Amino acid sequence: MGPIFLEATEDATKGPDRIGCMESIIATENLSKVYRVGKVEVPALRGVNFIVQEGEFVAVVGPSGCGKSTLLHVLGGLTRPSGGLVLVDGNDFTRMNDAERTKFRRHKIGFVFQRYNLLPTLTARHNIAIAQHIQGDEFNPHRFDSVAGMLGIKDQLDRKPYALSGGEQQRVAIARAVLCEPKLLLADEPTGNLDSENSQIVLNMMRILNRDFRQTIVMITHNPEAASVADRIVRMRDGRIVSD
Amino acid sequence: MVYRMIFENILHRPIRTLVSVLAVAIEVGMVMLVVGMTHGMLHENAQRVQGVGADIMVQPPGASLFFALTQAPMPIKIGDRLAEIPHVLAVAPVLFLFNAHGGINLIYGVDLPSFKRVSGGFAYLQGGPFAHPYDILVDDWYARANDIKVGQTLNLLNHEFRVSGIVEHGKGARLFIPLSTAQDLSGAHDKASIFFVKCTDPGYTHDAMNSIRQLLPKDEILSIKEYMSLMTSNDLPALNAFITAMIGVAVGIGFLVIFLSMYTTITERTREIGILKSLGAGKRYIIGVILREASLLSIIGVLAGYGGTWLTRRALLAAFPTLTVELTIHWALWAGLLAIGGSLLGAFYPAVRAARLDPVDSLAYE
Repeated sequence: MGPIFLEATEDATKGPDRIGCMESIIATENLSKVYRVGKVEVPALRGVNFIVQEGEFVAVVGPSGCGKSTLLHVLGGLTRPSGGLVLVDGNDFTRMNDAERTKFRRHKIGFVFQRYNLLPTLTARHNIAIAQHIQGDEFNPHRFDSVAGMLGIKDQLDRKPYALSGGEQQRVAIARAVLCEPKLLLADEPTGNLDSENSQIVLNMMRILNRDFRQTIVMITHNPEAASVADRIVRMRDGRIVSD
Repeated sequence: MVYRMIFENILHRPIRTLVSVLAVAIEVGMVMLVVGMTHGMLHENAQRVQGVGADIMVQPPGASLFFALTQAPMPIKIGDRLAEIPHVLAVAPVLFLFNAHGGINLIYGVDLPSFKRVSGGFAYLQGGPFAHPYDILVDDWYARANDIKVGQTLNLLNHEFRVSGIVEHGKGARLFIPLSTAQDLSGAHDKASIFFVKCTDPGYTHDAMNSIRQLLPKDEILSIKEYMSLMTSNDLPALNAFITAMIGVAVGIGFLVIFLSMYTTITERTREIGILKSLGAGKRYIIGVILREASLLSIIGVLAGYGGTWLTRRALLAAFPTLTVELTIHWALWAGLLAIGGSLLGAFYPAVRAARLDPVDSLAYE
């Protein structure tokens, strides 16, 4: 991604087709994840084979409980896979411990959640800046202003989350996720709590990030309209990829 | 940034903050006041004994440093034999009476002429010496605390005493009655609890003590210097144990309140911890945030404790003028360190627990 975010260009929903000339940033092979509920084993992922190229915008769709969120959590290093192989930016998550995955996540992955997940006691400005603090980078006001300007939240920076609309909160969450220029942006139902107008704004932002700044995005959704913004749609059912 | 987050958290939960700060403040106040009062009263009592002006104290075998606990008085005739020892200038027999009626007081039964030879005599602020057997002298602190005037009657030891004079404080006790009256009241005729011995020169104290030991090998013989050095909590095991126990209780209160406060905070903020983890915050970062929050709470609590202790001391001295509360920088620092240390210890388990939370479960926490 370029160092500075600029103004959005023309039709942001149409991305370029450059997949063919890209390198893979995510590769899973026979990926499985089993949760234990008491003595019962509940499989969430059953042999997922999945590749995402750098700069790609992939939407993962499927019914509730099909394993979409679990896949996102595994790809983000939030949880450890039970079996198979997960390579993210060349790093094998199955061989990394919790601390190593945390460090990787800190520098390489940005998350956007359905429920925004902003820290309620901090203003929008500090919610964004804390990502840089955790990463250990010096505060970069130039980049911060660029991100805030691109996402249209400059006037909301001194407000706390309770004083922001859902759309504004989600844009703050996106700003927080991309401030440190992650290799991979993982979005879990980013428009799930938004009305159609705000959903469109958020999707446009993500499209711009992908198209203009080559931000790799994996977005989970069960909204077909949201999925249509992506370059590629992957369908899941019962813990498996059924179409790609 | 992390301090802003901590500061905002503290402001966001004012009741929790107030309770935590109050607990630490009480902890600090308890340590400082317990130590201040015990040390203060011990030192003040010792200084009063030193103020008698004697160089040596002679007490019966097994006598306590706390005069009120001293039993088995000695024959008064010992005083005459002590007076014959080389380098002894004067001997003052005193009989201790312990009054628990209308307050707890140690009363000195004194023979004014011999007591004057040892102490240089009382400085009368009002009134004068005993004129009758049931006359009493009170010191100025006791008079002020109890609003006593000369000529007033005091009921002590189940008897009526007339206040004949108010004297300057610092001569052993706060209340003095004639030795003969004390002997009558205690049934210890021709007896004394202690002999205060003054040497012709303080340099002869050691020689005089050796001579007294030869004369009274079984009795307790102490120089005033030795007595002063023994009147510290370190040399009084029971008192030291009491202070240690009180400090333990105070630190325990602080520890438990901070533990509970941080534990509930962690539960309440499970989702926020999940957010921090999703942003890449490691275990050390999470533990650091929680411990720094606990430190900030305890530092505010320590400062509030210092202020509260100072105000409580003023209130105590206004209500009980005879009380001595000795607040020292040394114990203020100790109390602060104990409070902060206890708080960090109390916050440690919740911090580790927070650091170990599963990020996926935390993010799903409602």
